[in-house]
Amino acid sequence: MHPDLDRERSLARRLRELPEEAAQPYGWHEFQRRAGARARPARRLAGGRALATASVLALGIIAVWARLGGWSAQPARLAPEAAAPPAAHTAAMEHWLASLPREPAVVHVGTRAAVTGLEDRIAQVDDLLSAERLDQAHPARLLALQQARTRLVGALVQVRYAETLADESR
Amino acid sequence: MTRLVEITVPEAVLARARAGDGQAQGAIYAAVAPATLTLIRRMVGQRAMSEDLFQDTMMTFYERLPQFRGEAPLGAWLRQIAISRCLMYLRSPWRRLCLSLDPADFRVGAAAAALVTQDYRGESIDLERALATLAPTARAVVWMYEVEGYSHQEIACAFGRSVSFSKSQLARAHLRLRAWLEPQENHPSCTLI
Repeated sequence: MHPDLDRERSLARRLRELPEEAAQPYGWHEFQRRAGARARPARRLAGGRALATASVLALGIIAVWARLGGWSAQPARLAPEAAAPPAAHTAAMEHWLASLPREPAVVHVGTRAAVTGLEDRIAQVDDLLSAERLDQAHPARLLALQQARTRLVGALVQVRYAETLADESR
Repeated sequence: MTRLVEITVPEAVLARARAGDGQAQGAIYAAVAPATLTLIRRMVGQRAMSEDLFQDTMMTFYERLPQFRGEAPLGAWLRQIAISRCLMYLRSPWRRLCLSLDPADFRVGAAAAALVTQDYRGESIDLERALATLAPTARAVVWMYEVEGYSHQEIACAFGRSVSFSKSQLARAHLRLRAWLEPQENHPSCTLI
């Protein structure tokens, strides 16, 4: 047989016969502890990502809403066939918002500012609605105000939901 | 040395581990961890990085265990995960910044030789040191071909290179290993009293 081939076979055999790594791996419990330690930052990152995504989404909704007319003293004239806002849906959203704690576990400045801004706008619309009802305003105007309020409540739900997700993933 | 592919796990233990039984998962860990760490250490060389890759490998293994269908032996499946983790590390841009992967670059040898553990005795010390003198890519190719039984085609595929890359890496590594080992075989460096 060719001497080079013999030497290569011998080398391969010697490699296969090398002993196992002298330093033994850590035990099962240590492995689990390290796995848990690695998973925590990953979860935190995922929570942050969810919050960021939802914040961007909420800001997008607000931007679109503002672009389409938004809140103004003279609400856009509605088409007569425009449907009334689903009152049950709005009530459900408000019920869910009421069930949330006043503040999330960790307060993010940007999100909090968005929440406060939306709550202020909802309060303004509520005031206006009360005043218009007392003045017996045109039903179309009342409907427009009601729809603007529904959109604002929807945006608030989005932001608060993102906060809830972030809290749960922490 | 027990190779990963030679390790078998009773089907009942495997089924329990797949279902999330912590005791069965611990038993599998005890069976496969030493061989897994050995494989990673031989492929990568550095102890600290080997431990990191070992942790990654085992975490991936347990995450994917429920999807293991038993088409290949469990050890072979785990070996595939471990080798893929090692190659990802060896090919990473960060690592390329730290260390040239030029096939001709064997300058890391001297530093790597110092990493060899002191617990081995006799012939294995020489071979361990010789392996440590190889560049990481060459060492990985030697280990995959000679010990794990991969073909040149499979190695080329794993590295994303040509078959001739694998062959030339192996040939050069053989030359280097022989140059390291043979003078010591002909002229023993110590005398038994």
